[in-house]
Amino acid sequence: MVNVLDVKVLRDLWSMRLQVLSIAMLVAAGVAVFVMSVSNYRALVGAMESHYRNERFADLFAGMTRAPLVIADRLREIDGIGIVETRVAKPVRVIRQDTNMPISGRIISLPAKGQPLLNRLHLVQGRWPDPLHPQEVIINAAYAEARAVRMGESIDVVLNGRLQGFRVVGSALSPEFVFATRSAVPLPDDRNFVVLWAAENAVASAFDMKGAFNDVAMTLAPKASIAPVLDKVDRLLAPYGGTGAYDRGDQPSHRFLEDELAEQETLSIFMPCVFFGIAAFLLNVVIGRMVEAQRGQIASLKALGFANGTIALHYFKLVTAIALLGSAVGLALGWWLGIGVVGSYRAFFRFPSLEAQFEPWLLVAATLVSVVAANLAAVTSVYRIAVLPPAEAMRPATPPALQTFAWLQTVGSRLIPLQYIIAARTTLGRPIRTLLSTIGIALAIPLILFGLYWFDAIDYMIDVSFSRVERGDAFLTFTEPVSTDALYELRSLPGVLNAELQRVVPVRLRAGYRTYRTSAIGLDPGSELRIPRDKALQPVSIPADGIMLSRQIASQLDLHVGDTVSIEVLEGTRVVREVIVRRISNDILGSSVTMDRSALNRLMKEGPVANVAALRIDPAQSELVWSRIKSMPKIEGSSVKALWLALFNETIGGMVLIGALILAGFGMLIAIGVVYNSARIALQERAWELAGLRIIGLTRHEVFAVVVSELVAELVVAIPLGILIGRYLIELIASARASQSFQIPAVINPSSYVLASLLVIAAAFASFMMIRRRIDTLDLVAVLKTRD
Amino acid sequence: MQAHEREAKSSAALPPVPVFVARGLSKFYGSGDSQVTALKNVDLDIQQGEFIVLLGPSGSGKSTLLNILGGLDAPTSGSAKWRDHQLTGASDDELTTYRREHVGFVFQFYNLIPSLNVEENVRLVAQIASDPMDPREALELVGLSHRARHFPSQLSGGEQQRVAVARAIVKRPDILLCDEPTGALDVDTGRLVLAAIAKVNAQLGTTTIVITHNSAIAGMADRVLRLSGGRIVKEEPNPNRIAAEDVQW
Repeated sequence: MVNVLDVKVLRDLWSMRLQVLSIAMLVAAGVAVFVMSVSNYRALVGAMESHYRNERFADLFAGMTRAPLVIADRLREIDGIGIVETRVAKPVRVIRQDTNMPISGRIISLPAKGQPLLNRLHLVQGRWPDPLHPQEVIINAAYAEARAVRMGESIDVVLNGRLQGFRVVGSALSPEFVFATRSAVPLPDDRNFVVLWAAENAVASAFDMKGAFNDVAMTLAPKASIAPVLDKVDRLLAPYGGTGAYDRGDQPSHRFLEDELAEQETLSIFMPCVFFGIAAFLLNVVIGRMVEAQRGQIASLKALGFANGTIALHYFKLVTAIALLGSAVGLALGWWLGIGVVGSYRAFFRFPSLEAQFEPWLLVAATLVSVVAANLAAVTSVYRIAVLPPAEAMRPATPPALQTFAWLQTVGSRLIPLQYIIAARTTLGRPIRTLLSTIGIALAIPLILFGLYWFDAIDYMIDVSFSRVERGDAFLTFTEPVSTDALYELRSLPGVLNAELQRVVPVRLRAGYRTYRTSAIGLDPGSELRIPRDKALQPVSIPADGIMLSRQIASQLDLHVGDTVSIEVLEGTRVVREVIVRRISNDILGSSVTMDRSALNRLMKEGPVANVAALRIDPAQSELVWSRIKSMPKIEGSSVKALWLALFNETIGGMVLIGALILAGFGMLIAIGVVYNSARIALQERAWELAGLRIIGLTRHEVFAVVVSELVAELVVAIPLGILIGRYLIELIASARASQSFQIPAVINPSSYVLASLLVIAAAFASFMMIRRRIDTLDLVAVLKTRD
Repeated sequence: MQAHEREAKSSAALPPVPVFVARGLSKFYGSGDSQVTALKNVDLDIQQGEFIVLLGPSGSGKSTLLNILGGLDAPTSGSAKWRDHQLTGASDDELTTYRREHVGFVFQFYNLIPSLNVEENVRLVAQIASDPMDPREALELVGLSHRARHFPSQLSGGEQQRVAVARAIVKRPDILLCDEPTGALDVDTGRLVLAAIAKVNAQLGTTTIVITHNSAIAGMADRVLRLSGGRIVKEEPNPNRIAAEDVQW
């Protein structure tokens, strides 16, 4: 026979269906964000790990000028080194007829017999080069896609100053170039950077490297520690012009990938966890009030002789049903969104396989958290009512000591219409309930801000990096250091508004046991096209001696102004010098060392040379400028700010913003759920009182004013409170990532606060409409019949 | 029914003009097989200042009749009129205005606003009335001026019900409608409440209709209407009204 209490569960669910739906929606939003984000992040990490494993991404890397092949055997003998793969890797330039823009690239030799041992290629299209046809190459898939290169197409490459034609037979993904970046450009620019893999003999002969190599990838033997191995490799390669061995942490693609994953971790793990936590808290508040509103029923059941356990079980079923409904919707939604979002990752993270992953533990955990959070609230409320003697519980909750609000009694009630006194006393008389419900509404704001924040942070990053720090429109890199004459030549080009030279060299900083590989940028004093800035965005002057460090490097190496750091130039004669940290700059994208250009020249023991030029170009004449630059012999590559920006918006921007939009959307759903429930329960608890007011002749509008003024009062406190909480949580989340080299600034625009507040107000307004409708349709007679 | 009671003290000086006129009032709940009849074809005239007691078992239609006369409910058919106010077919706003300006209610469960104190509960109505008396005067009338600053939760049931009476009369209503005003009270407290109601009827000339299960209260009325099965089955004029203090049950 069906348990009558179970029938009550079903009937209650049905009669409270709107409320049930809104609570389920709250659960669904929390679960969906959590499941989607966490599983997407894990999908990314999983895809990276399997790509690294399948394609055997090396652990250690080293470059040098030229080493004979026998040195490879010496490397293998080093204790702690596993596999050694030598190759020839050189910068090249690619010429395309359809663009004036110089395209730079890197050519890497492939062993004569198929795949290399390390850093293997994952063919996306085409085939492996035929050993009998040395002009066949594989190119990186990102470039192939960006430039729509077809298999079989020819590609003109300048190797060592000589133009040579190759034929593209395949495109591939490589763990070394998940992000194809160059040191002078902070973001991958797939249109203007290409990686070519060609047969060993073709590359070696072009660069006169037969029987030699200039690049090596190695694995670390199990249990070997990195630092001593790197040291030994450095010592072995030093006589051959070694530029310093490094591990994955300093490998450009991996470092960028790690930074991106750190950012994704913030977006995908920290925020959703906080988000879900807040949703669980709100669920707790809402369920608690829902159960409390059934006070009379609980008391009656007790009076009839039902044991507390039976009553608790009854509410456990009711609440669990709601939580499960929400979880099921949330899981489905999270699943569906996850597939879409992972799809958007594919354009950016170039992994052979990146599939949305839904791990059972995640689904179980999310469901469990909702069910537990909901029941915690239910059990607490049921218990609170169940401990009362049934007779007492059957009466409505005793209003608290209202007379403590003496001011409302004496002055207040003479001046303020009594409807508002009712509202004020109800609000102040139950401070805990008012506080919880105010916090509930307040927390909707951070949930929306979590989404909106990313738009602001990205805008800020773009503004600071690309309009305040990097002020040039384009950069040129030279094949070899050039004298100041090049500056005059560039400035004389029609359409070039300004040009400045920079000396950019790879360096390794060493402070105690910590090291950091980066580029040192030598700027002329008063440089206008690159202006390092401090945290307050004020320009920081370039120190005449010593160095300026970006905040990220300073914190990674634990350096402060006045400290000494060892700087090792990983080029040419590999000078090592102790220098003093003079200033700290606040780089947002990329992290660099800035020096006075002549100081850097002196350090390098070279004349006043440079290898990078920053340009300001008249947009109307840019084609003309590029056509002239194309014919300049020493240009190795270029990058154009407008293109990065477009790229940034397309990739990082696009990817992050999808996540942000989803967060903001769910934040809003939760806001509606919370405000609606607050209003709905307030109405339910007081239907009798409100009907009484209507009977004695208060108009619908006057009764509406009583309820709404309570909610408005809560809203007025909740919004500033929510803004403060949102700000605090975002700062907390941003600072949690501060130790990473990539930091997302905790910047929230006032307009986001306004928007989040407006959205909550809109949710409140919708709830007010609902209240109004219920007051309008309040059945006075029916309410009077049921004294509940 | 047209005959009126010359002996009744309160109505003796008033002209015999019916203020309430109801014709063919019927009220059905539900439809088809499950239809419930609450009122069936009731005709009723009530004079200005009359004290009417409605008696009858549960489900006899007393509350339905009272609710229709008070503008809280609408009949399924028939018409009801208070002076020139058509109560049947009136809009919700018209009924609200009618209640606000002319009707005072007292219910079995007091229906006080828990967050307002005694004086404020009364003043709440005074605030929306066009010609109210001083709330303190209303409390005086029910003998509760000394409790003005207390909240409903601090009062006994009888005191709460007297506040409800004070609240009902503060606007000097033309009609006082009481649904089981002593239903939740003991004899002594019940008498105090009844005395307050009788006082209002006598001093303000308020037309008063009281629902009760308790036939002893009928002795206070000018006229007793007995209801059963949705009809008025008996109408008993009461030439010898007794005072509330003398009511026995």
